[in-house]
Amino acid sequence: MRKTIALATMVAILLLITACGNSGGGNASSGAQDGKTLRIAWWGSDARHEYTQKVIDLYKKQNPGVNIDIEYASFDDYWKKLAPQAAANQLPDIMQMDISYISQYAKNGQLEDLKPYIGSKIKLDDVSENVLSTGLIGGTQYGIPTGVNVLGYQYNPELLKKAGINEIPANWTWDDYKKMAMQAKAKGVYFDESMAADIFFNYFLRTKGHSLYNAEGTALGYEDDALFTEFFGTLAELIKEGAVPSQETLSQNKGILEESTVVKGTGIGTWQWSNQFVALQKVADRPMALAPMLGPDMEKGIYMQPSMYWSIASSSKSKDEAAKFIDFWVNNEEANKLIKGERGVPISAKIKESVTPDLTEAEKQVFDFVSEMEPKASPMSPPPPVGSAEVIATLADYVEQINFGQTTAAEAAPKFRADANAILSNNQP
Amino acid sequence: MRNHSLKANLTGYAFISPFIIGFLAFTLIPMFISLYLSFTSYNLFSPPRWVGLDNFEKMFTGDPKYWNSVKVTLYYVFIGVPLRLTFALFVAMILNTGSKMIGTYRTIYYLPSIIGGSVAVSIMWRNIFSEQGIVNGLLMALGAAPVQWFGDPGAALSMLITLSVWQFGSSMLIFLAGLKNISPEMYEAASVDGAHPVRKFFSITLPLLSPIILFNLIMQTISAFMTFVPAYIISKGEGGPMDGTMLYSLYLFRQAFMFNNMGYASAMAWVMLIFIGVLTLILFKTSKMWVFYESEGGR
Repeated sequence: MRKTIALATMVAILLLITACGNSGGGNASSGAQDGKTLRIAWWGSDARHEYTQKVIDLYKKQNPGVNIDIEYASFDDYWKKLAPQAAANQLPDIMQMDISYISQYAKNGQLEDLKPYIGSKIKLDDVSENVLSTGLIGGTQYGIPTGVNVLGYQYNPELLKKAGINEIPANWTWDDYKKMAMQAKAKGVYFDESMAADIFFNYFLRTKGHSLYNAEGTALGYEDDALFTEFFGTLAELIKEGAVPSQETLSQNKGILEESTVVKGTGIGTWQWSNQFVALQKVADRPMALAPMLGPDMEKGIYMQPSMYWSIASSSKSKDEAAKFIDFWVNNEEANKLIKGERGVPISAKIKESVTPDLTEAEKQVFDFVSEMEPKASPMSPPPPVGSAEVIATLADYVEQINFGQTTAAEAAPKFRADANAILSNNQP
Repeated sequence: MRNHSLKANLTGYAFISPFIIGFLAFTLIPMFISLYLSFTSYNLFSPPRWVGLDNFEKMFTGDPKYWNSVKVTLYYVFIGVPLRLTFALFVAMILNTGSKMIGTYRTIYYLPSIIGGSVAVSIMWRNIFSEQGIVNGLLMALGAAPVQWFGDPGAALSMLITLSVWQFGSSMLIFLAGLKNISPEMYEAASVDGAHPVRKFFSITLPLLSPIILFNLIMQTISAFMTFVPAYIISKGEGGPMDGTMLYSLYLFRQAFMFNNMGYASAMAWVMLIFIGVLTLILFKTSKMWVFYESEGGR
């Protein structure tokens, strides 16, 4: 009898321990003391998981004795997993960071300042200042970009000709754009699928010398509501005129590549980041081209956007080893032949060159486009502040209302500014 | 002797401890933590800051999107649940007529509910009604213009309701069991008295089925209030267009996991819990007026 009780108690204690162990979260403590075990986390598609694993295997082969634990997930799940790990002070040594989240993690002291490692552990001699500075938050280097993207107009040249336009003129303006959109409409095709509200409004503001957020991230970066009215008024007008699909169609098809007008052959082009070109071209399965953003002052507006960053947790016990891995990622030729610009065009000029012969036609187009834009681009605005997700959702709501004709751009402008500023000030510590 | 029973009890406790520990660790303690968080401002990064009733005040007076989500959810529940139950009862009665193929039919009708609130069904629903989906294909074959089912702010919620009505299988099975329990002699006696089918339905079927209707009504109402997956998948997590599919749980999820407003989301969850509790209580109380229990001899 006594034996049974002892056994039962053992089982209960065991259960208790395992229950606690699980909620504690993961394998953080395993062998971290010797500085030779790294935890690395990223988000992405299956293809990305596959080649990242190959890069890690390569690193392990060249650095015997280093052990690397990996964690990966889809974009949404990744952030849901990372936030509790941050709250428990158990972040992975190396993390893939997104521009919309990096401020939050940096400001809360979760990320390591990488400046001391640059030059010694991480060699960045072949990286342009414009690119590297995108990892600065409040003057501190919290992330090393994995690669860069730039905004542009991605279109089907054949359909453009059919609409009676031979090519996108160099240094085109908003007036050219409106004229060409109406011309396309007359020929029965859409010119584009409107512009993602936050990204392109920010671009528009930058060409006018402002930005969506102020430098401190405490409020919006512009005060003149006429800017809002001009930008979103123009977009809504094009929708109303039928040069761009209706908001109903846009809402219905949003995020579904197969339903986009470019793929269906009813639309000439679309506005998006350069890294989205390869996927679009693949699904559309016809020759496509890239054109720069429209102006005036395109150079002031465009910037090299890091596709994503590598950051090191400030709680990491293997920071030197983590920095070495990032260096490997940036500068190792063999590794980059596996990566092939999937995380954006490589930031090192030397690597960019050495990878080029292995690229597909569409990938080459992207590399060329980014190279062409890089010297023209202006420094990026500071990364979106804490609370920006809510601001962007609010902006998207107002734009939807404008495009559905429920309100006007002039009416929405002051409301959006008030809402956004309230959200941003609420998120100040 | 007393000692022995203590030992016996201990063994018992040891055996149910997996449940007790699980319940404490994953239900009760998190619930109380969430109750505490509902009075704080908490973004997961900095420690929770006590703000008293601020979250509730904002919810009730300062957040039009909150009230929109309440409105959308009430509409979804009060239109969707009665439709779903009516449909389930209707199909159950057809299946109760005693066909040889009944097993097959039951399985076919139950299938959409097995894969129930799952992601796959929602994606399939999206595809059926997508711009180039089968429904628009049929419409165009008939010469009509394609409809943007999920793009039209007025139509999107109706699409969610139709999806929920279509997943009527589980309530249908329970109705079917209830119908089988009504003794055929009742109907025979009614036939002898010359009652027509409609009269039989209202005087025999409905009253005898009323306890089952109550059960289904409460279960379905509670689950409808908590609907999340179809709205999340179909609107790609945004509750659009024009917040037309922003169900309460989706808005709560957005506040918690997209905007990191954990305190506000916890407060929303507790309001929902209390509201569902009160509504269930009301359903129970009013049920005395319309639910008929045979065992009570039909008061």
